[in-house]
Amino acid sequence: MNKENLQGKEYWRSLDQLADTPEFRKYLENEFPEGIGEDNSLSRRNFIALMGASMALGGLLGGCRRPVEKIIPYVTPPEEIIPGVANRYATTMPFGNSAYGLIVESHEGRPTKIEGNPDHPSTMGMSNVFLQASILGLYDPDRSKAVLHDGQEAEWSEFVEFWNGQYEKLSKNKGDGLAILSESFSSPTLARLAGQFKRKFPKAKWVAYEPVGDENIFEGVRIASGQALRPVYHYNKAKVVLSLDSDFLYDESENITSAKGYADGRRLKSEKDDMNRLYMVESGFSVTGGMADHRIRLRSRLIGSLTAALIRELDSSGLNAGGILPDINFIAAPELDRKWIKVVARDLINNKRRCLVVAGHDQPAGVHAMVYAINHALGNIGNTVEYYSMNDSLTSNRAEFASLTNDMNEGHVDTLVVLGGNPVYNAYSDLGFNSAMKKVENTIHLSSHVDETSKEANWHIPQAHYLESWGDVVSVHGIKSVVQPMIAPLYDGHSAYELANLIATGEEKGGYEIVVETWGGIINGDFERSWNRVLHDGLFIDKKSSAKKTGLNSGSVKNHLKKNISSYHAVLGEDIEISFAVSPAVYDGRFANNGWLQELPDPITKLAWDNAAQISHNTANKLDVNNEDLIEIEYRGKKIEAPVWVVPGHADNAITLTLGYGRNSCGRIGDGVGYNAYLLRNSDAPAFDTGVAINKTGRIYKLASSQDHSSMEGRPIVREATLEEYRDHPEFAPGMVEHPPLKNLWDDHSYEEGYQWGMTIDLNSCIGCNACTIACQSENNIPIVGKNEFSKGREMHWIRLDRYFTGDVENPEMVHQPIACQHCENAPCEQVCPVAATVHDKEGLNTMVYNRCVGTRYCSNNCPYKVRRFNYLNFTKDTPESMKMAQNPDVTVRSRGVMEKCTYCVQRISEAKIKSKADGRDIVDGEIVTACQQSCLTNAIVFGNINDPESEVSKIKSRNRNYELLKELNVRPRTSFLARVRNLNPELDDSKKETSN
Amino acid sequence: MSASIEKKTAEFEQPLIAGNPSFDSVTNSICNIIENKPPRLWYIAISVAGSFALMFFGLIAYLIWEGTGIWGLQVPVAWGWAIVNFVFWVGIGHAGTLISAILFLLRQRWRTSINRFAEAMTIMAVIVAGIFPAIHVGRVWALHWVFPLPNQMGLWPNFRSPLLWDFFAVGTYFSCSFMFWYVGLIPDLATLRDRAKSKIKKIIFGIFAVGWRGGNRQWRHYEVAYLLLAGISTPLVLSVHSVVSTDFAVSIVPGWHTTIFPPYFVAGAIFSGFAMVLTLAIIARKIYGLENFITVNHLEKMNKIMLVTSMIVGYAYSCEFFIAWYGGNEYEGFAFLNRAFGPYAWAYWIMITCNVVVPQLFWFKKLRRSIPVMFIASIFINIGMWFERFVIVVSSLAADFLPSSWDYFSPTIFDIGFLLGSFGLFFTLFLLFLRFLPMIAMSEVKGVLPQADPHHHDKTEHN
Repeated sequence: MNKENLQGKEYWRSLDQLADTPEFRKYLENEFPEGIGEDNSLSRRNFIALMGASMALGGLLGGCRRPVEKIIPYVTPPEEIIPGVANRYATTMPFGNSAYGLIVESHEGRPTKIEGNPDHPSTMGMSNVFLQASILGLYDPDRSKAVLHDGQEAEWSEFVEFWNGQYEKLSKNKGDGLAILSESFSSPTLARLAGQFKRKFPKAKWVAYEPVGDENIFEGVRIASGQALRPVYHYNKAKVVLSLDSDFLYDESENITSAKGYADGRRLKSEKDDMNRLYMVESGFSVTGGMADHRIRLRSRLIGSLTAALIRELDSSGLNAGGILPDINFIAAPELDRKWIKVVARDLINNKRRCLVVAGHDQPAGVHAMVYAINHALGNIGNTVEYYSMNDSLTSNRAEFASLTNDMNEGHVDTLVVLGGNPVYNAYSDLGFNSAMKKVENTIHLSSHVDETSKEANWHIPQAHYLESWGDVVSVHGIKSVVQPMIAPLYDGHSAYELANLIATGEEKGGYEIVVETWGGIINGDFERSWNRVLHDGLFIDKKSSAKKTGLNSGSVKNHLKKNISSYHAVLGEDIEISFAVSPAVYDGRFANNGWLQELPDPITKLAWDNAAQISHNTANKLDVNNEDLIEIEYRGKKIEAPVWVVPGHADNAITLTLGYGRNSCGRIGDGVGYNAYLLRNSDAPAFDTGVAINKTGRIYKLASSQDHSSMEGRPIVREATLEEYRDHPEFAPGMVEHPPLKNLWDDHSYEEGYQWGMTIDLNSCIGCNACTIACQSENNIPIVGKNEFSKGREMHWIRLDRYFTGDVENPEMVHQPIACQHCENAPCEQVCPVAATVHDKEGLNTMVYNRCVGTRYCSNNCPYKVRRFNYLNFTKDTPESMKMAQNPDVTVRSRGVMEKCTYCVQRISEAKIKSKADGRDIVDGEIVTACQQSCLTNAIVFGNINDPESEVSKIKSRNRNYELLKELNVRPRTSFLARVRNLNPELDDSKKETSN
Repeated sequence: MSASIEKKTAEFEQPLIAGNPSFDSVTNSICNIIENKPPRLWYIAISVAGSFALMFFGLIAYLIWEGTGIWGLQVPVAWGWAIVNFVFWVGIGHAGTLISAILFLLRQRWRTSINRFAEAMTIMAVIVAGIFPAIHVGRVWALHWVFPLPNQMGLWPNFRSPLLWDFFAVGTYFSCSFMFWYVGLIPDLATLRDRAKSKIKKIIFGIFAVGWRGGNRQWRHYEVAYLLLAGISTPLVLSVHSVVSTDFAVSIVPGWHTTIFPPYFVAGAIFSGFAMVLTLAIIARKIYGLENFITVNHLEKMNKIMLVTSMIVGYAYSCEFFIAWYGGNEYEGFAFLNRAFGPYAWAYWIMITCNVVVPQLFWFKKLRRSIPVMFIASIFINIGMWFERFVIVVSSLAADFLPSSWDYFSPTIFDIGFLLGSFGLFFTLFLLFLRFLPMIAMSEVKGVLPQADPHHHDKTEHN
């Protein structure tokens, strides 16, 4: 049908239309032109004109000149330094009476990374959090930069002049009224200087004070053996270990060798292997408690009773512990579990000479004496524990410190030299050190920061960091080593050696000269050669040092126990016990201005940037408080406020306060962080006491935790079995997940050629000590974000320690799992990135291209392990200039808006590849050590080429405990875990419920 | 065939436009809105909306200056309100094209009263939506890398990434919707041009009317173009939100990784889009006195569609739970239990109440035709649909595979500011549209008037 006809009458619009003229037809044709007009196209001429104009505009904007920076080239380059290639030097870090041998990586003359010295017996190539993080202290921008005299800037020469006057005066009266208060040390040079000091000023005092130290251990051993000795434990030789409140894997001295030895004693290649067993008794939950096979929680003060009861039990089982105990019923306290003690005693007796009993440094000397007696009776001395004499050492001594403070108060001291340490902040509050110091006419304080003590002192001398000064130390094994500076003092600091030398001799000498003077007497023969050898190796092998043969002086122990009965025997009832624990992050407060450590989540509570008052669930219910409630703790008339954190597995009726926080003069990082528990601490009860009252304030204090959820929700995340179960079902770990066949959407990439990197983490060895986190932070330039950002969940750690509690709420077991990027072969992050900023390389690395990243964060959402970290803000913008020197030049510093994550230390892989290529060979297994692996105290982390069946990582991956986390998602992670095995004592296996009091 | 259906519906239904207007009165009543001074309320509204829009731009500037850290995002919840807002606004943008394209193809002639209005709302919503993915990235200045731009390094975007599909889907949707809207506007723009009294208006409308004179050939071409665009847009209505849903469905996050998402998202989008059209239409018809054009019949039809889509959405909610249980995947099972009973349960139950319970009112004809009821219901539905996206995005991310990384997302003042600001921009754009463009398609409305079909009565007589 013709549509036109439907219109009815035809209307015409114009005469043209009516006439149907050719013009009108043309008009109709043109009414809807088909194509775009040809004339619209941009002509070449126009194009060039436009381009010219826009370029000119661009030129206008970009016309500003960059500021001229003059670069001074190495006209005569230093011999050892090749730009871009790191040098490594040996040195030693003094820490209390311990010495930790280190290898320090140095880039163009600035130290950037600390690693353990494999030859040194105290580190064996590993390093803990404090060692790793100490490098940041070197570059701390808040370090003191000038000598201060009564708060005014002064010159070092002015101080020397002042001291020369004093020296003359004091020389005349044989040093009457002079006292040195130093930190404890084990150093040939300081010991020599102390000797000189004593000879020059016979009436003067030299006292050492440490707020936290091994004083009780030394004292206990002295009581029992009659000699000044220190123990060296061989955990690797012990089949059964009983720890009485000793966190030997974390906060006791020499924790590196302890952790290594302990892990060596429980390595399982297959179900046929044997492993050690650890019994733990403690009040708060510790890292060691988490590793224990059997743990009971007990208030610290009852641990002495338990030790005594154990001796009784051993005695009745026919083992003569020396008859050291007074006639008291030690089992009176209802918390003491007789069955547990019986079983442990039997296990110890069954493993004579192959077991070990240790007590923590917080336990009183009497307990240590008893422990000595037990080890003696069990024949462990000389096998699992050895004693070395304490040469060249000065140990912290509470009594001497108290008497010095007393002297100061009574005006007997007119010149006080504080060689390091911060007693105004951390001295026992009952001594009133602060007011005593005000009574001293001349006070001189050597300190790296203008801290609480410096502010009270007449003279403040900036202290050089151990990485920028000469020194020497003796390790627990009696091995001497040199503290070798890596860099000239950044802020005109002086070492304790230089100041002590000036004090003792009145002469100004450099650290090198002072140390060499001592070593002239240590090294026999060709000094130059041996000295260089010592500097190169980092230690001096002296054949003379070996373990002492020791006996038991049971009479002395018995006497001591009789006299101090209250310190190890108590029936506490419902009294709340207060105990003071050293911080796993800032130690005794000395690391308070160290951002890495402040932001390090506590291994147990997962809190950072604060300390809390830790209590158990039951006690929290009893006190009607909850997490983050601010409570007032009243003890001996003093009060402090602290936020509550409920820790499952903490002893009931006990509250643990962490030392080292609440500082107000340490710098931009640590000032005002947490509360100061030292304010409640007294010299007669330095570790724990009863008689505390707790009041609610009704206020809330926000704490920052890195992990909100502590249950695994029944998911097979950390896989665990008892040794018995493992032997029955060797394949239990991979068998814990069933899944349908895993098929891929697209063709799989074959990773069969060349190097294929992979990692294994043995959860049976991992103790959760955080060393890997700090090592990674140092190696990979990971910024800190501060409490506010941390509490939002924006911490940047590439490797984190997940901590889960399992079992009973009141007395749970704890497991740790280090999680970093798993380098999935079928990586979910890669598929969703719109710009392909995260891609796989042919060696199986999941690489992150920072330059390409636009920051959609889709990869993080799709990461099932949530290991990706996003720079939500510019976290590196405010990095102080000095801190930039600590950064690793081989690793990009990331800017705002990009994603980052673990790279398997790709810079180390590249370095090894370049080296092997230059040598014309393949990379050898073990040549590449990732930062986390390097620091790992227990060698739980192994990295290598999984394409080589002979590599260690391949061999470990073929073990039956090997499993891949979330394998059912078909992500095919390159990192795999080895399941954990607990060696339960069958006699205690069913009694778990009963032991939880 | 279709003619007989039209006839039948015509018998059952009241006239589409009430008040029996003439062609002339239609033109007058619509054009007068634009040509006369706007009512006082308009000024108040634009000043409020405009302030929020300005705040929005200020916040965007601050965001680009400071970084996405100003929001409450963290790991694991790396997508927060920005993405919620994006999905919400894209969803809102569904009604327009649905009304114009699908209802056009299905010959639902009642659409003519609301299509212009709904299409404009679509454009504005998609503009607002499009801002969010652009600004939520960490480095806005490198965003162009998402586009397949040839470069000397031979770098291409990752075509496996749903985010890339998103860019294409939303981009295509926006350009097609815009074309559709603009093409539909041309005859009306020409009317405005012809009625314009000032020279400037004449020129501007003249330019945008692209020489429309209402010639026969123009109309024929126009109708074909309109039909073609409707044909092109129809699959887009379904595709765009399907693709948006793949942002979630393609990932492995429990609670996201589900195949029901594409139809579920499309239904939800239509649902929310209609709710927003309704909210706006009720206000506009009241203020501008358009009760004759947008009759209660129109509103009732929209309510029916909302009831249907609400049921689809409700079905999807329950289906997700069923599959989470039936699938036996412990992570997925937990994700859904956590949604309903975990820390985000409050958000989940807001969503259920608003999206599933409230629309059940529309089973009752009285309530379905009551303007206050439907107005309040539409607002509840808008709230519920925002929360649906919040529940999906945030609660799934907050608790995925490893409990160690679980965290709780708390919005900052900036998150709230961006949400309010986006409403500000949306309403600003919409108010400008009301002020300067005909909110009802005059030419189309005229087409559905009885007098537009001179044979109307003849035909019925012959039956």
